[in-house]
Amino acid sequence: MKSLVFGFLSIFITVYASSATSGDIAAGETRYGVNCFICHGQAGKGMASYPKLAGKEVAYLIDKLETYRAGTRIGPNSDLMIMNAEPLSDEEIANLAAYLSSL
Amino acid sequence: MINKYLALMVSAVAIFATSANAGHHGHKSAVVPTITQEAVLTGLENPWDVAFLNDGTMFFTEKCKGFSVRMPNGDVHALYGMKDSSGYADMGSDLHCSNQAGMLGLAVDPDFANNHRIYVASASTKYHGNGCKTNFERCDGNIVMRFEVSKDMKSVSGRTDIVQDIQFKPFESNHPFGGNGAHNGNRPTFGPDGALWITTGDRHRGVCPQSPTLICGKVLRIDTDGNAHPGNNPPKGYDKRIYTYGHRNVQGIAFRADGEVFTAEHGPWHNDELTMLSNGKNGGWDPQQNVGGRGDCPDEYCGYMPNQKKGVIPAVRAAYMPMSDTRFPDLMKPAWQNNGYSQGTSSIAFLEGSQWGMYEGRAVVGIMGIAFGGTPAGMRLDVYDIAQNGESIRSVIHLPVETKRYRGVTMGPDGALYANTDEGEIYKITAK
Repeated sequence: MKSLVFGFLSIFITVYASSATSGDIAAGETRYGVNCFICHGQAGKGMASYPKLAGKEVAYLIDKLETYRAGTRIGPNSDLMIMNAEPLSDEEIANLAAYLSSL
Repeated sequence: MINKYLALMVSAVAIFATSANAGHHGHKSAVVPTITQEAVLTGLENPWDVAFLNDGTMFFTEKCKGFSVRMPNGDVHALYGMKDSSGYADMGSDLHCSNQAGMLGLAVDPDFANNHRIYVASASTKYHGNGCKTNFERCDGNIVMRFEVSKDMKSVSGRTDIVQDIQFKPFESNHPFGGNGAHNGNRPTFGPDGALWITTGDRHRGVCPQSPTLICGKVLRIDTDGNAHPGNNPPKGYDKRIYTYGHRNVQGIAFRADGEVFTAEHGPWHNDELTMLSNGKNGGWDPQQNVGGRGDCPDEYCGYMPNQKKGVIPAVRAAYMPMSDTRFPDLMKPAWQNNGYSQGTSSIAFLEGSQWGMYEGRAVVGIMGIAFGGTPAGMRLDVYDIAQNGESIRSVIHLPVETKRYRGVTMGPDGALYANTDEGEIYKITAK
């Protein structure tokens, strides 16, 4: 019985964790098109002094966006990113990460 | 009878006034041209500037790679690369890129047919010497190079660094967009006077624009060996290469048909400007701390103050840190200012040829604009009808082109406008 409960718990945790971090690629693309593309370029290719985001790991992208959202400076353009990341919800961050990682 | 003569006289005056107006402002037509846009080159890495020969041969830079030439048949020859680049006929290991800095503008010698010379601006480590150890000292880190292009257009030789002391920002600072390599200007072009004109930026150093000796925040006018133009008239004690001073980050410079020279200047959070230059005069940008009613500023640069990391009413910021400070008696009044916004003015060109219809003679400017802090996005080309005296504009319209980050605009010998984008394209924009 104990092992059955543990098994269900493991499955639940796995599924929950997965759903919490796997964003909606299409929704992420839509959100990216609101204003992110203006600096990071179409399809996250990067341009000028704004870095390429296409193909980065989901965990990396989420970490960076959450760090900026918390108001932490981590590079010369931080003030700009903090301003843009502050309004993002967890879901929007997950969606953006899913989209950019898929490119 | 008297009425008839009066009517004739009024008509004559009206016709004269109309033709005079057309002559002065280049408005030879009321036709709105049809605009088409096609990509000439794609897949480039941050193409920053282009320059043409009369046969359509096009030189272009890529900010972190080097410069190349596209022949009229479409072949591209990679001529001179930067540190860590590959595929170029030759390279300079001192040339580097970082944030806004890199290989930026280039210009073709008016006598190219005879001397095959071109001029290229870039960040370089070659002349750092004992400087560049902090952000608060001299750093000779931007240069202008002269090359001779081979007859087959596949290589260059004879690199001569004709300007070695344009200032460079070596380290990150406590400012928005505070990375190293900030505000370089570096758009060279030849004027109708045959002189080489070079724009520079303030490189986030407060003392730069009003400094008599540091070549930053200036527009230079020199010969092709780097010597000052004898007609330059800067204030006593200023470097004789200086045509105008007191600038922030001049990324655009172009000459109107009547010979007047205009700059497009990328502003701080509350402005951008187009300015008709006047020999020896002041653009009015002075981001020093403890002057103009200001106190200490982060890293001795007030350019984004007050409260530089948060939103401030633009008028308040403009009053505290004006882009054209009226306390200077030799101030050049801008033709246009961006009404409380900074949307990233990049390059400027004047539309030439009757194919441009009612836009003939008007200025086209790249507005890069990244949209933050309530500022609308740019990503467009705007066309300005600038008054003859250069102190105002009559109108501004958006050119119907794709939404792109337009870094450079250059008139081609075919009468088309060529626009290079940070996304990596060079477009041909045609009017009919």
